[in-house]
Amino acid sequence: MRKLILFAVLLAAQSALAQEKYFYVALDVNKPLSNTSWVNDGTARGVRLGYRAFINRKFSAGLDLSSSAYDQYKPTETMQSGSGAVTTDYFNYIYSYTAVVSGQYYFGNDEKERFFPYAGLGLGANNNRYVMYYNIYEDSESAWGFLARPEAGVLYKFGRRSLGVMASVHYDYSTNQSKKFGYDGFSAIGFNIGLIFLEW
Amino acid sequence: MRKFFFVPLLALAALFQACQPEPDAKQLIDQLVVATNYDQAADFSAYATYSIPTDTIGLISNSTNDTIIVQSKSTFPRPVLNEIKSNLNALGYTQVARNQNPDLGINVLVVNDFNVFQQVVYPNNWGYPGNYYSGYYGYNSWYYYPYINTYAYNTGVLIVEIVDLKNRTPDNKVKVVWDAYMGDVYSTIDLIPQSVDAIRQAFVQSPYLGKTPL
Repeated sequence: MRKLILFAVLLAAQSALAQEKYFYVALDVNKPLSNTSWVNDGTARGVRLGYRAFINRKFSAGLDLSSSAYDQYKPTETMQSGSGAVTTDYFNYIYSYTAVVSGQYYFGNDEKERFFPYAGLGLGANNNRYVMYYNIYEDSESAWGFLARPEAGVLYKFGRRSLGVMASVHYDYSTNQSKKFGYDGFSAIGFNIGLIFLEW
Repeated sequence: MRKFFFVPLLALAALFQACQPEPDAKQLIDQLVVATNYDQAADFSAYATYSIPTDTIGLISNSTNDTIIVQSKSTFPRPVLNEIKSNLNALGYTQVARNQNPDLGINVLVVNDFNVFQQVVYPNNWGYPGNYYSGYYGYNSWYYYPYINTYAYNTGVLIVEIVDLKNRTPDNKVKVVWDAYMGDVYSTIDLIPQSVDAIRQAFVQSPYLGKTPL
């Protein structure tokens, strides 16, 4: 997965040199919405980066990559089974990676404007690694899923400079499943804030 | 412009690889995991007496030839054995000597798994610091000295078993009717208090034990 992400990043950078485009890097804050009894806490340990090239003044398309780590501490509890019981405290972690091909529509894109609100949709893949840590032991499961990500956001361009900022909200739904840890699909809501590097 | 894109992209690609935070190790090992199992056919109220070693704990290890941990060499056995005795007494069982035909025998042992393994690492030219002998092993060549990484892990589980001596088979075989596995005893913050707490918890989560079970 990591090699794929690295390859996709390099590919995006290579093809970014031909037309009006921007590259962005953003902090990705997320909160899980599914199976919240396993992990409910939101996380700011996420990073997202992407490349988008304009097809015309209203539409862009590109590639978004992101990584998030969700975690939650579970205080000591006793879990009963048929002929026994286990007592421990533990940490539940989800290491989530996504790669989507995305398209955006911009509401007003005059060259003199600085604000560029947009709405978009990303479709791609998601890999989650679910890990339960207890004492020196761990139990884990890794799974892939199809990911859909509707998103709305705004770009702000700093004058004539090739720098700007972005902010967006997004909803992720993935078919990612983990039977071991009770996930029948994985969804999250997220917020991004970051820098954009423009070339237009 | 090319550099403008590549530098942050490469930095962030590295960041992706580093995004695997793990829990605080101290918080993970500040208490032992306690797992208990029992024979559902056993009637624990039918037993009255038990026998337990006084100052020794068994040891099964792949790193030493010792087969016991003795109080004269370690402060570990006595508090552990005392905690087991105190819990069994509280459940209504009476301690007797081994030659007094006890109903239950108590086995206490530590199973230790010590492993060392080595890996030869052949660095590539993607930025390992040091070991750089440019030109020394041939003109215009990059050579990275292979080195050996040594890894070791040392893990152990404290096990308490209750053996049914009352219902021996005709060929003198006995059955373990309850056991508790507590780990890891080689990665603790404070071994003895954590072990004592774990033993107490093992009995707490086994309410079927006792002459008059709860």
